[in-house]
Amino acid sequence: MSIQLVDASLFASTEPVALQGSACATCGAHVFPAQGSCPMCAGVDVSNVALPTEGTVWSWTTQNFAPKAPFRTDEFHPFSIGYVDLGSVIVEGWLLDKTEWVIGEPVRLALAKAWTNDDGTVVHTYGFEAI
Amino acid sequence: MSGANIDNEVYIVGGGMTEFGRFDGEDQELAEQAMREALADCNITWADVDFAVGGTNGETKPDNMVARMGLTGLPFITVKNGCATGGVALMTARNGLIAEGRDIAVVVGYDNHARGAFAASPARYGIGDWYGETGMMVTTSYFALKIRRYLHEHGIDERTLGYVSEKAFDYGSAHPLAWRRKPVSVDEAIDSDVINAPLTRFMFCSPDAGAVALVLARGKRAFELCENPIRLAAVELRGRRPGSFEVFSPWLSTGERTSPSIDAAQAAFATAGITPDQVQVAQLQDTDSGAEIIHLGETGLCANGEQGVGYLNGDYKIDGKLPVNTDGGCLANGEPVGASGLRQVHEVMRQLQGRALGQQVPNNPRIGFTHVYGAPGISACTVLVKEGANS
Repeated sequence: MSIQLVDASLFASTEPVALQGSACATCGAHVFPAQGSCPMCAGVDVSNVALPTEGTVWSWTTQNFAPKAPFRTDEFHPFSIGYVDLGSVIVEGWLLDKTEWVIGEPVRLALAKAWTNDDGTVVHTYGFEAI
Repeated sequence: MSGANIDNEVYIVGGGMTEFGRFDGEDQELAEQAMREALADCNITWADVDFAVGGTNGETKPDNMVARMGLTGLPFITVKNGCATGGVALMTARNGLIAEGRDIAVVVGYDNHARGAFAASPARYGIGDWYGETGMMVTTSYFALKIRRYLHEHGIDERTLGYVSEKAFDYGSAHPLAWRRKPVSVDEAIDSDVINAPLTRFMFCSPDAGAVALVLARGKRAFELCENPIRLAAVELRGRRPGSFEVFSPWLSTGERTSPSIDAAQAAFATAGITPDQVQVAQLQDTDSGAEIIHLGETGLCANGEQGVGYLNGDYKIDGKLPVNTDGGCLANGEPVGASGLRQVHEVMRQLQGRALGQQVPNNPRIGFTHVYGAPGISACTVLVKEGANS
């Protein structure tokens, strides 16, 4: 059975996990999620690309209060989010398993449980874990 | 004025402002109060006004203020540009006066927000639902991520955030229209509940209610209406370019960092023929304590990194070399989005005229600066100059 995702279009693959961005043929910029045009140079010759799965923490914070809707969770616990420098693009995502980070810390992409649907299916999102 | 044609100069000749904070009535009641006060401030009536611009982030229509003020037939333009609404409204009014040869304009901004942080819809920003469902569509976490990076890049101590809060609540406590009028010490600010690390409860502004109105006049008419007209030497609006770091961004580019605030401030100083070191009183968008630190650097009012020592020295206090947010800024006044940018201009106008409602900047400041910044990456800056015998 395939894994349930918050949005399948965010992922190039789940085994192994990789995020899907788009690359601009004109200026070379990578963006995430994939989109049909390039906001950097206004070009339209873009194609989907799997983004690197390892990078370093570029900035980080903690989410100490439960966000308003449409946020979904089974039970709220404070969590970390950050921007991760993947080399070609800096991607925002959850930082997994701890709430203290250091800028420059190496991390790798992973799947993380987001919430459980009424029918018991677990929905996953992406995050980054310390290496 | 260096020989410029006075017919193409626009001046602020009157202002009105309600108390900021929680309000049980309708937002347009606040707007009306501010407008009537602004008209009285320069001894004119609504019938004398020949152009108006209004801004709000709420659901009411600013142009329907004519139902309260009078159906004089004047053109009334509505703007809605998030946190930058006040700056955009001011620019629209100025340009309208000059382009159409009109004499007197009223600019009004107002809002009455519900309690708590703004709830943002991913779809309105062209982002998938996943971004909100996973808890990343949160303005406060953006502020924290942005200041964390800025402090790191420029070697500024996190404790500086506490100094920003202390200053804001100090000046708010002295201002009769401010919402938060209780002083907070540096340690209290730093040691209070963490909302999004490194930002704590005393380092954020909250949405609230309030309205501000200004009367603008063109050319010689300004000097008939006001003893101390404040010349709008520049008002410039800019949008984001590649490399800026904006709210609700699932990704950032790796190249050179840019900012609409940098661009708008540079344009405003160039238009006014003023350099940042000439500014004697300033208002900067301080939606959180970190934003004031970042915007000091981005507007060119100090070098990036200088803020750590600057706050320790009291450089940005009333008696420092560059007083910033002398009414307590957004931190102490909250942010009724439509009114906030005009509050800044109102405060600087009063400081330059020597009639501050709170603490007065000493030594007769003549040159002021204001800066608003907001989603989805826009900034408006003004340069304000007190005219007088020595100008």
